[in-house]
Amino acid sequence: MDERNNLQEFVITRVFDAPRDLVWKAFTEPQRMKEWWGPKGATVIKSEMDLRPGGSYHYAMRTPDGATIWGKFVYREITPPSQIVFVSSFSDEAGGVTRHPMAPTWPLQMLSIFSFEEEGEKTRFTVRWSPLNATEEEQVTFAAGHASMQQGWGGTLDKLAAYLAKAAQAA
Amino acid sequence: MSPDRLSTTFAALADPTRRAILARLALGETSVSELAKPFDMSAPAVSKHLKVLERAGLIARGREAQWRPARLEAGPLKDVAKWVERYRRFWEESLDRLDDYLRKIQAREKKRGRKK
Repeated sequence: MDERNNLQEFVITRVFDAPRDLVWKAFTEPQRMKEWWGPKGATVIKSEMDLRPGGSYHYAMRTPDGATIWGKFVYREITPPSQIVFVSSFSDEAGGVTRHPMAPTWPLQMLSIFSFEEEGEKTRFTVRWSPLNATEEEQVTFAAGHASMQQGWGGTLDKLAAYLAKAAQAA
Repeated sequence: MSPDRLSTTFAALADPTRRAILARLALGETSVSELAKPFDMSAPAVSKHLKVLERAGLIARGREAQWRPARLEAGPLKDVAKWVERYRRFWEESLDRLDDYLRKIQAREKKRGRKK
């Protein structure tokens, strides 16, 4: 049975003006992750990586408002230099899996895929997520989130309502 | 917004009939009997769903005793979306920073190459 839940994935993609090997390194060397990982103004204060199937990346970042966010990737497949499959979650200092600090019903674990594709001299990076072994409530949280993540922010309520209508039809 | 309120909103959204009711209300305010029609449900059953939605703040009900039209309240859905937007921003901003980082180290390498 497929442990992934039957929902659309959430996808973000970006093309970098850099060779693929370099982009790969930026995601697979913990000291490089420290240089860029996290939103504007955040500082990575812990970056520990054991890059192998079953190994993990455990990180902490301090946000500009003074909060500390812990997170964890548990690697499943590593295919240099094109793909990394892992399970991501929020975490704590000890490396345990925790709930989203703001949304207790956000899926506990997300199956995540980083892919790195060459586009001439550039590199396309894509990250995809789907909830893993999610409860119905978690799936709904993700679906509601998915609708707004994909559709951006103009007239969102209308779009969310339309999405919910479609979801209801499909159910 | 508190995590608890967000949970209440999500719990209310967890039911397909309630999502369909919200989608219908997005088109305009409607009476209970009008809402019951497409769902092949009794008015009391619809009322039950409306109560859950009302408690979650997703809808408001009119005062008139006979015809208590329900209408969509945008607040909680916006909160859900706002919270999700933060998640997206986390990634977009990380990738902006990665873009800067990649430019910086490539420029550095180029410079070093020229010196040799």
